[in-house]
Amino acid sequence: MAVFFKQFKNKLFKFIPLFLLFFICLTGNSVVDLNFFSINVHFILIYYWVLRQPLALGNSYIFLSGIITDVIMGLPIGATSLALLIVAAVAAYVRVVTVRISLLTDWISFLPALLLANFIYFVALYYSNYSLDYLYLFKNSAFTFIFYPVLWAIFSMILNFMKS
Amino acid sequence: METSRDDVGIAIRSAFLRKGTQERFSLLILVILSIILLFLETAKVKPIEYLRSFIRDTVYQSSLIVSSPISGLKYISHEIKSHANVFKNYNQLKKEHEQLKNKILESDFLTLENTQLRKLIDDQVKSSSNLVSSRVIIDKQSPYLNSFIINSGSNKKIKNGMSVLDGQNFIGRIVDVNFFSSRVLLISDLNSKIPVVIEPSGHHAILSGKGKKEPILEYLPENHTVKDGDKVYTSGREGIFSPGTPIGEVVFEDEKATVLLFSDLSQITFVNITVSNFEQDK
Repeated sequence: MAVFFKQFKNKLFKFIPLFLLFFICLTGNSVVDLNFFSINVHFILIYYWVLRQPLALGNSYIFLSGIITDVIMGLPIGATSLALLIVAAVAAYVRVVTVRISLLTDWISFLPALLLANFIYFVALYYSNYSLDYLYLFKNSAFTFIFYPVLWAIFSMILNFMKS
Repeated sequence: METSRDDVGIAIRSAFLRKGTQERFSLLILVILSIILLFLETAKVKPIEYLRSFIRDTVYQSSLIVSSPISGLKYISHEIKSHANVFKNYNQLKKEHEQLKNKILESDFLTLENTQLRKLIDDQVKSSSNLVSSRVIIDKQSPYLNSFIINSGSNKKIKNGMSVLDGQNFIGRIVDVNFFSSRVLLISDLNSKIPVVIEPSGHHAILSGKGKKEPILEYLPENHTVKDGDKVYTSGREGIFSPGTPIGEVVFEDEKATVLLFSDLSQITFVNITVSNFEQDK
């Protein structure tokens, strides 16, 4: 019974990143929008898990979550999935070239991923004739970068649970 | 130096082309697929439109189910707050009721006079049969698009461009129709431009959405006489919306004519879509 319970618990923890990924996109909380700032949780989630535990989030799931976000947010289908795949690609690249992973290296390498993804996002929306609030996009990028360590700490706790 | 360049190449190849043991697609294939989907978004081919509608309907229904616990919690919290404010509201409503009672007689006369005048200027007087009522199923405001999803689509003859009302007030237009759902673009959105007329001055302008801020009036004549409190209505100039649908009232902020909307766009549960007028106009 104890072994069965342990196995069940392990499987449950294994699916936490995937559950979080689909929960935030289906509830439309990919971008947490508060009064003074907004954070793109979706980017951070994908970057962290692709970097730390690549098997937890498959490429197809990332693509699918992008499609769902586009539908929920009313954006052209493919724009968010393209940006998310770019984040995943940068994370995969960083994983290959980095020997020792720490918060600082994660945080610094997250910046190009974020800027590249938001640039792709901006280009995709611009060519689809969507008006954008540029200041909002800039603020969102800045606060997503600033808040990365907070979510990094939360996700690290979950990862430790998974490993234990 | 050569080795370093090789390393970068290997790392990039590894990032884009490597697949996990249980994965079917590499990142590169999915990136290409995303770009194809983006291009297909502009295609107006029937099978693709049907597929898009199917995907959207499925996602909206899934979202509705997944969001139900959060919606439930929000509803409970709203109910608790409203119960806590009952007594406070009661006294205020009692006072307002007295004031409104006095105004009813005056307003009855004005309504009658207004109806007669509208008939005289060949305006379309709306009847309830022109409207299709719908419920808002997803109102999660996107940071990039101020819109929500309603539970009527092509099954109820909803078409792109139809005007959407909250009660009698104009709040937006249909921009995306699926089988069982549609997306309403609110007048506050950056992409929304509505031709309006301001009363009593009679000036025409374009009501332009500003995202989270109040929409503003653009292209007003230079020597206009618009002032605070003037009412804004749809002008019906582009031939899609019926003229004379109320929108809001003018408030000047830093010499900019903003419009305070009659409807609170964050509190909408049911909407009316003008169907018959649209068909007649088309």
